[in-house]
Amino acid sequence: MPDLSVPAVQVTDLTQRFGSVVAVDGLSLTIPPGMFYGIVGPNGAGKTTTLTAVCGLREPTSGSIRIAGHDLRTARETALAQLGVMMDGLSLPERLTATEVLRYSAGLRGLDDGWRARARDLLEILGLDAVRRTLIVEYSTGMRKKINLALAMLHRPRVLVLDEPFEAIDPVSAHSIEQVLKQYVDAGGTVVLSSHIMDFVERNCRRVAVVAGGRVLVEGPVEEVAAGSTLNERFVELVGADPVRPLEWLA
Amino acid sequence: MTRTLLALKLSLFRNGPHNERGFSLVSGLVLAALVVTGAALAGRGVVQEGWIAVAITVWGGMWLFGPLAQPRHDPSVISREWLRGYPIRPWRLARALSWTELLGVGPLITLACLTSLVVLAAPGGPVVVAIAVVAVVAQLYLLVWAGKTVAALASWLLQTRAGMTLAATQTAVMLAVSFAGWVPFAAWLLPRLGEGDTALVTPSLGGLPEPVADVLAALPTGWGYGAVVAARDGAGPGAVVPPVAALLVVGALLQLGWIALTARALRRPPRRAAPRRPAVPGRGLSLPFTSPQVSAVVARELATWLRDPARGVELRSAWLTPLLMALIIAFTDWSWALPLVGPAAAVFGAMVAINTYALDGTALWQLLTTPGALKADVRGRMAAWALLFGVPSVVLAAVLWAASGSPLGGAAVCGAVAAAAVGCAAAPLLAVVMPAVGTDARDRVYPGQQAGDPTGGQMTVFPVVGLAGVLGALWWAMLLPAVAVLYAAPALTLRLLRRRGTALLDAMASRDAAASVR
Repeated sequence: MPDLSVPAVQVTDLTQRFGSVVAVDGLSLTIPPGMFYGIVGPNGAGKTTTLTAVCGLREPTSGSIRIAGHDLRTARETALAQLGVMMDGLSLPERLTATEVLRYSAGLRGLDDGWRARARDLLEILGLDAVRRTLIVEYSTGMRKKINLALAMLHRPRVLVLDEPFEAIDPVSAHSIEQVLKQYVDAGGTVVLSSHIMDFVERNCRRVAVVAGGRVLVEGPVEEVAAGSTLNERFVELVGADPVRPLEWLA
Repeated sequence: MTRTLLALKLSLFRNGPHNERGFSLVSGLVLAALVVTGAALAGRGVVQEGWIAVAITVWGGMWLFGPLAQPRHDPSVISREWLRGYPIRPWRLARALSWTELLGVGPLITLACLTSLVVLAAPGGPVVVAIAVVAVVAQLYLLVWAGKTVAALASWLLQTRAGMTLAATQTAVMLAVSFAGWVPFAAWLLPRLGEGDTALVTPSLGGLPEPVADVLAALPTGWGYGAVVAARDGAGPGAVVPPVAALLVVGALLQLGWIALTARALRRPPRRAAPRRPAVPGRGLSLPFTSPQVSAVVARELATWLRDPARGVELRSAWLTPLLMALIIAFTDWSWALPLVGPAAAVFGAMVAINTYALDGTALWQLLTTPGALKADVRGRMAAWALLFGVPSVVLAAVLWAASGSPLGGAAVCGAVAAAAVGCAAAPLLAVVMPAVGTDARDRVYPGQQAGDPTGGQMTVFPVVGLAGVLGALWWAMLLPAVAVLYAAPALTLRLLRRRGTALLDAMASRDAAASVR
């Protein structure tokens, strides 16, 4: 069981600049272990930038990140060992099959033989065992999400960081991913994900942070953040949506 | 529509990238100036004018073989993918696009080169100059469309696995001729060099033999030259009009061919070449003297070299080039030079492996987020390189030594060992230092897609590994520094990856070759 007194992810005063653009502006988050945690926000809010920094894929301009108590800057390898990562829109070793890429990942991490049974389970549950000879480069978006999830979970990490896991995939694929994530959290794992699918976040996440302009607008249990509305309505209210004037040429 | 597309192409040119285009423009104009100067000297009788026909034939050859010589390149500037969504008939769109193909560095520098024909015509007076101007335009029209049609045909072929082999063979032939094509001439000039006899056979070159000049003038690349010389020498319209008319007719036919190929490409998205699939997926690899982490990387690398379309072309050409070089040398009196192909094979192996990080693209994220993976990755890439290129180059040197009984055999084997050691160390290092970022791995399905232009890295690794091979061959003690490089370079590569890996990932995610990791 994880130590409940140590946050699974602790982001303190994270700032990320790209030249003169401030993508993340003093953002802080404390995510307890065993939590299904959602980060929502409009495009360009800084969600992916934050998650990229949490995964160690970007050196923050300032601020600190701790994974299960390990500082990502000073104890990088130990911190990374706690993470399973699923990034959106990035390649994998594209010329391998699902089995081969899992074998490769297991070898790269030096896992014991238990990975074989876990890989079999993941491939079966995610429906990838039917395409044994298909290379990753030939995968559809949904299949890519699934193999990414299998890779993220293979080494039984304490924290899963998922960037847009439900973006552009069909409901059936989304359902299988959702079921796997639920099991993972029920077993004590922590999921931190960014998403635009408010319905999913409302249904599964216990806490949510609404991010805009690189800052946290509101954070807390989903019911509290929603404040009696749906999360989608509350999100639009918080972020603000410009009124759309009627387009006469559409009439 | 043609005007809109021309404006679009001009905008794309204005927005860059300018480096490669600028280099081609300057180097092309310098070469064209040499040809024009040669024509001026021919007018004064200093140079025989047949050499101008040779220059224009070589220039035309560059149009024909240039696109094929670089099978990774997609020569189109305006994206076909983007145009495919417009509700315009493909044939009409392709026709309009065809005129935009005339805008570019290639036609411009070729026009500059062909002005040599006007210089040749100048002594004949204004009418002959006017004929020369028409011949220049007609010759340019033919060369441009010959080159564009060959490129479109190659691009279509490269969508198939057979095309991949074809491209590799073609590249190997070009490389073998470039690197060993001089050997027959050298063997002719110095027939007994292998016996230590440096007596030079002096050739009597003088002017270009008349039959050769006639053959060159009879080739399509020489029709413009033939028409201009005939007009200047007072031949009747019967000798001037047919070659110019033929240039225009064949040029128009080639343009039609290009339009047909482009319309076909616009009608349907590029098909995926069926990738080579594993017969037994998931088979592991266990290597002696390596950790499971390194073995995992070696297995990934071996599969990727065999299955990735861009790497597949490089692998085939790196294997085939030394064999073709050996074949060229074997038919000369310089068979003593055969074992030297071994070190050359290590050089080619290094040249094709200096862009692997950029070819693997954003898959780098997995290495950056896995503890200890970067170290295993560097060592695994080196081990895979040694298996695919290093050991074969040493074996090749030894086999050719045994076959030829060359007195240079031992030196060649030492050279191959030194070159292989340095190549093994330098390839991953340069892949980090000089990545040529192109289409990301997940979107690359056939070798015709832009996979980054690693020419800079190749030009860097070539002298480094070549020098190691030469030094290793000259003095066996030089093997020690080569082994020291093999030992020290991985630590440097690893350090660079740790410090700059995220910047490299950013550059690849944004597909920005200019977003240097330096």
